[in-house]
Amino acid sequence: MRRTVCLFIFMLFCIHGYAGKTPVPKPVVKMAVKPKAVLVTDTATVTPRQFDTTALNAYKKRPEFVYRENYDGGPSLWTRFWRWFWSLFDFKDKKLTSNFMVFLKYFFIALGVAAIIFLVLKLAGINVLNTFRRNPQVAKLAYAESEENIHEIDFDTEIEKAVAVNNYRLAVRMLYLKSLKQLSDKGLIDWQLNKTNTTYINELADINQREAFKNLTHKFEYVWYGDFAINGDVFKNISLLFNNFKEGTA
Amino acid sequence: MENENFEQRTDLSKLSAAVDKIKATLARIIVGQQDVIELVIAGILADGHILIEGVPGVAKTLTAKLVAKAIEAKYSRIQFTPDLMPSDVLGTSVFNPKSTEFEFKRGPIFGNIILIDEINRAPAKTQSALFEVMEERQLTIDGQTYTMDEPFIVLATQNPVEQEGTYRLPEAQLDRFLFKIEIKYPTLEEEIAIVTQQHQQKTTEQLSHIDAVLAGADIVSLRKQVRELYVEPKILAFTAQIIHESRSNKSLFLGGSPRASLAIVNAAKAMAAIKGRDFVTPDDIISVAKPVLRHRIMLTPDKEMEGVTPDEVISQIIQKIEVPR
Repeated sequence: MRRTVCLFIFMLFCIHGYAGKTPVPKPVVKMAVKPKAVLVTDTATVTPRQFDTTALNAYKKRPEFVYRENYDGGPSLWTRFWRWFWSLFDFKDKKLTSNFMVFLKYFFIALGVAAIIFLVLKLAGINVLNTFRRNPQVAKLAYAESEENIHEIDFDTEIEKAVAVNNYRLAVRMLYLKSLKQLSDKGLIDWQLNKTNTTYINELADINQREAFKNLTHKFEYVWYGDFAINGDVFKNISLLFNNFKEGTA
Repeated sequence: MENENFEQRTDLSKLSAAVDKIKATLARIIVGQQDVIELVIAGILADGHILIEGVPGVAKTLTAKLVAKAIEAKYSRIQFTPDLMPSDVLGTSVFNPKSTEFEFKRGPIFGNIILIDEINRAPAKTQSALFEVMEERQLTIDGQTYTMDEPFIVLATQNPVEQEGTYRLPEAQLDRFLFKIEIKYPTLEEEIAIVTQQHQQKTTEQLSHIDAVLAGADIVSLRKQVRELYVEPKILAFTAQIIHESRSNKSLFLGGSPRASLAIVNAAKAMAAIKGRDFVTPDDIISVAKPVLRHRIMLTPDKEMEGVTPDEVISQIIQKIEVPR
């Protein structure tokens, strides 16, 4: 019984819900008929408008409108460099004349060129100071201080003079210088005032000549540098050795 | 035969014999380096201190040690290190509780032959401790002056300044060294001889058999002989000209001092004596000019940057001057 009542109530609600919704009729849409397109040819006369060239030219002549034609790509690198360079100095507050600025500019250019030349010469290994000196290599030797030149001395006369006054020490010196001149004249040694006797000995290529000259050098050094006193007899012996050497190299 | 006309004014026979002995002794162990050995002997005979410079491993210390061993005298060795103090070298006053007085404990500098190894590894403070003793052969500590025994020779070794952990020696101290001898690398032949000698274990044996060939007292008398050798006035002028030229040379910031002139003459006398002559020749002067001057002159900064060496400048200076003849 209870089940029947419940079913009745359920059915009752269902009928009520359905009865609440009234069906709405669908609107009928009527399609309008489009008219056919008709192409109409425009036959009206067109008059093209022209720029007023006179006005354009007038505008062109006015400086405020001429801003494209004179454009040159901005300031050059050189100008920009100088702008930057001057900005390094505080010139704004100081009233400098344009002439002075030009002078400064050329001064700095000259300085820069000099620095580049100096750098190049340095890198090339050239002694800049020597470039402005006269004959740097030759001037190395203080030859002007030399009192005598072996190529200008009359050795025989000088030896005779020294022997006449018993100055055998000086006579031996003259004999030695004479032998150096002989070797130099024959091209066996390269005569230079700054060379020592040992250097000349080593320059002699012939062993016999070298030994003979070594012996003469030894005598000369003892007499001249060692201040050994010699008499006429010893001088004769030494003189004989020098004569033998002269004949040997002839 | 060569000396038939000339009799030596000074008897150099003992000196020549001693020099030959030292040379022969050293030649048994040291391969080559004859010039170095000759200069070391000349320095000792000229009453000078010697600085030996070279890269590690060229037998600087060995050379100095052997020379010291060949001379019978009190020998001390000091290893210079960055933390070495002046009192470690000179000595220090120690309180004696018995006498209740301070007693001076002598340092290793009190000897005849002092080998200072790696001298440029000690700082300037320790270097300056050597100034007085090297120049005046005396020490003043706590108001007390101690005179060094004769002979007093400092043989120092050093690595080039470019090496790590080294200090440049003060100019004042460098000037106190008679010679700065540079030891170069051996030639190929010498290197082979060194390796062979070491391989045959000869060096170690020889080292233990080095006997003194000259007494300290002999050195004193030989030095006296050397001082008396004759020097021609023109050669003295030649020496003075070299030093004078060094003072006006454009490549040099600092030229030679009068002490350098004296050093050249003294060293040249020793060199002449070694060669058996009792007088000096221009060759003697030239042969010692570089070792005497190279540590006393200072290059200008630009020349130093160009890589010019003091030896090159010294050669240029000598070439400018006429050899007296």
